[in-house]
Amino acid sequence: MTSTHQPGHQQIPFTRRQAIGLSAASLLAPLGLCAEQLKRQQRACILVWLAGAPSQMETWDPKPGTANGGPTKAIKTVLPGVSIAEHWPRLAKSLNTIAVIRSIVGKEAAHARGTYHLHTGRRMGGPEKHPTFGSVVAAELGDVNSDLPNFVSIGKTLSSGFLGVKVAPFIVNRAGQLPANVANGLASPRVSRRLALLKAQDAELSEAGAAALVEEHRVLYERARRLMTSPKLKSFKLDSEPDAKQQAYGKNRFGQGLLVARRLIESGVPFVEVSKGGWDMHNRLFTRIKTSAAEVDRGVAALLGDLKQRGLLERTLVIVAGEFGRTPKVNTKTPAPGRDHWARNFGLLMAGAGIKGGTVLGKTSANGQEVIDRAVSVEDVFQTICRAMKIDANKELFTPGGRPLKIVDGGKAIGEILV
Amino acid sequence: MPRLTLLLACALLVLASSDSIAQTGKATKSRTAAQKNKKKSAPKKSTRKKSAKARKRPAPKAPKLPPLKTPADKQKFLAAIRASMPVRRVGSNLRYTSYDLDRSLEYRVGRDRIYAPVIDDERFVRRVHLDLVGRPPSARKVREFVADTMKSKRMRLIDKLLATEAYARKWARYWKNVIFYESTANRNRTNPQALEDWLTEQFKKGVPWDGIVAELVSAMPVRNKAKKKDKNDWSQKTGQNNFVLAYENKAPLLAAQTARLFMGISIQCAECHDHPFDAWKREQFHELAAFFSRGKYFMPNLDSTSKTTEMQPKFLLGEQPPIKLTVHQRRVAIAAYLVYNQDNYWFARSFVNRIWNELLGDGFYAIDSLGPDQECLHPSVVNRIAAVFRYRNFDPRWVFRLMMNTRAYQREIQTIDKDEELFTAVRPMRLNSGQVKASVLRLTGPDRNIGRALDREFRNDPSIPQRDLEGTIQQALFLMNNPTLQSKLNASKLKKRLVTVKQPRAVLTQLYLAVLSRRPTDKEFARGLKHLRQVPNRAEAIEDLLWVLVNSTEFLTKR
Repeated sequence: MTSTHQPGHQQIPFTRRQAIGLSAASLLAPLGLCAEQLKRQQRACILVWLAGAPSQMETWDPKPGTANGGPTKAIKTVLPGVSIAEHWPRLAKSLNTIAVIRSIVGKEAAHARGTYHLHTGRRMGGPEKHPTFGSVVAAELGDVNSDLPNFVSIGKTLSSGFLGVKVAPFIVNRAGQLPANVANGLASPRVSRRLALLKAQDAELSEAGAAALVEEHRVLYERARRLMTSPKLKSFKLDSEPDAKQQAYGKNRFGQGLLVARRLIESGVPFVEVSKGGWDMHNRLFTRIKTSAAEVDRGVAALLGDLKQRGLLERTLVIVAGEFGRTPKVNTKTPAPGRDHWARNFGLLMAGAGIKGGTVLGKTSANGQEVIDRAVSVEDVFQTICRAMKIDANKELFTPGGRPLKIVDGGKAIGEILV
Repeated sequence: MPRLTLLLACALLVLASSDSIAQTGKATKSRTAAQKNKKKSAPKKSTRKKSAKARKRPAPKAPKLPPLKTPADKQKFLAAIRASMPVRRVGSNLRYTSYDLDRSLEYRVGRDRIYAPVIDDERFVRRVHLDLVGRPPSARKVREFVADTMKSKRMRLIDKLLATEAYARKWARYWKNVIFYESTANRNRTNPQALEDWLTEQFKKGVPWDGIVAELVSAMPVRNKAKKKDKNDWSQKTGQNNFVLAYENKAPLLAAQTARLFMGISIQCAECHDHPFDAWKREQFHELAAFFSRGKYFMPNLDSTSKTTEMQPKFLLGEQPPIKLTVHQRRVAIAAYLVYNQDNYWFARSFVNRIWNELLGDGFYAIDSLGPDQECLHPSVVNRIAAVFRYRNFDPRWVFRLMMNTRAYQREIQTIDKDEELFTAVRPMRLNSGQVKASVLRLTGPDRNIGRALDREFRNDPSIPQRDLEGTIQQALFLMNNPTLQSKLNASKLKKRLVTVKQPRAVLTQLYLAVLSRRPTDKEFARGLKHLRQVPNRAEAIEDLLWVLVNSTEFLTKR
């Protein structure tokens, strides 16, 4: 969409930074499409990140009654013949809007590396720091003129890598509050007066040889200022949401985070990540899973229902994923057993924009130790996400060193789960 | 490396066989030697000769090592090995000055390039303060330094600051952050502050870098199980235990971090597969990890979770302990192979490269991700500095003195895009969280909340190259709007004093000196005077100007 190689534009000498900053909106604006109209057609994504790697056998691929299955039972879903683990009764009922992948074959079984792989589509190591996918979406679909950041993360996430500060995640530590320090008690003319002086002050350093730093500083301050004055700031707050709605999402950090995510998507933020930790269940898995799953089950089911009701689901992709899976064999750790790291088969959920709900992809063997049908790679998953988000996965992004890197390297979109 | 094997085996007999290891290998050459060895082609001539000699000799009776269980025993033993390290004696009168460094660097970078001019006194005094003591100089210090007419005043200022406690504290904090940044250990079982305090003590006393690292790496903290309430007591109060504790006393983590932090080598990837971009093999990683194991060490089999292979400790250049070692002895062995190893040119060089990177904004190579197949820029220069660093008894202060007295360090800033242009100017550097905090608190007075918030918002991985660092909107928002910060600035001593100054030019001079450690330029005078004229309320006008300087890029930049 935003190509620097577009016919007729070749003679315009874009710098790399400008090329990164360009968005669909700014290119199409001259054609008479206003930002609001574009927004409505434009896709957005909520990534629900289950940090620590949830067990596939206690989520979407249970193996009840087998040696590896553990005490986890399976429950029926709205899809005939499809069961998921007992901890997810609400999602079992909304599975007709969801695509389940059970056959991802990963390559990383350490947290940092798996998190990197599943956030960037690339494996860690090598000279480049790849952008987390939220930053890619912010760069490709974000509106440079938006008041709100184009990528909000409720909880920690990775960095924008070589894409730089413009599309860096805006991290909110606690859902429902205004981001810290957005308000000041000063009259607007005084702030403007100060900012004008600041600009002049920085020009001095720019001339003295720090042009690049000054430019980055300017961009940050401009964006900070826009955020401070934006009427859309209230999207971060929950006071206007009825209590029943807050209850439906779950009155906990995670549930409220999803509700804020929905509000932000409504206000035009193209990518929101909401993370929930505590999935690294090496021990006491079968008790710990209950509380963790209950929060996520309630929250995600409420989110999907809410998005659908507001007509947002068809343009919003919801992904529920962690960094890898867990060993099919139950370990013998104390005080109660759990499962360890495992990347050879695991799963995730996708729903909403571009996704064919009610599909289940892939199959694992009875003991859950290998994929026996339709193995997919992490790169396949990223190709699929790009298709669902209408992002050209083959587009080349430029590193600061000028190296072109495709948004996704390799892999094929999973046709079965795409509309 | 038979030489090293011998070294370790013999050192306990205290120098009994020092004649066999007395030959000097030039550190600069050992790089190529090491590479050759890795590729298993012909080793360096002298090495081959010696290994033949070693083979001819009747196999030495397996010497009995002391148990080395206490830190004191470990130190004594390592000191014995150190004393037998030949290069110390041979190279002790070698000269290498800042002038030599500049000359060889400019020769390598190219004499025909355009070099940035050397900075003026005001820039110099701020830069040196930020680098050595982690905070900008006070207005008084700037004035005094500028007024000083001694020709050698820059050199003397460097020496003076190196002698302060603040220098020791600043660099202790740096290394604490370096060590702890990637740590995911349970916070109840580590004590970063104790590490910082211990390091401060070492830097203050001028303990050589080899001693510091040897003590960190050979530590073997033991859990105090006596009482239930002490279940998290791993002797983390003993500062030097905290490198090992930061990586949970786990062999693979310690192997990866030892290589990364003290050799500048990235070998982590080799834990699971042969390194994709380098010559590291999986086995090498696990042989290194075996040194840190608390029992037998097994390399997991990639294809099956149940199969493993037992690994014997072996250092990255092939050095192997001649006899079976206990857990404690293995830690001492890895420390010796790392530090007192003529062939391990990485050890000295990674320190040199890190400090250079901190001072000039770029290293000769990425400070923690080198591999044998990745080249560094101007190797002859950095290798030379590293070699002399060793001859100079691994004295950290010597490195600072050498580097900071060069023209290369004292040049004006410039945005550098190409590798060829590196070191023709200094890269403008973002201040780290400690420096930002010190700069802000100098103006507001001590405040825990502001300090903590700045620590959090400006925290960055100290091992990431400057050119890859990014600012955040949150940082901007904090400096623009944070209510505590604003009220503290508006009620600060500086502001109160400035309000009483009648002369507008004096207001501006004092303000710029206090915030940016320099006097205003003509343009800045003109702009400031205009503002003071236009805004009827003097206090308000000063608040504006103070806000502007605190929010300027320069306030957050080492220029």
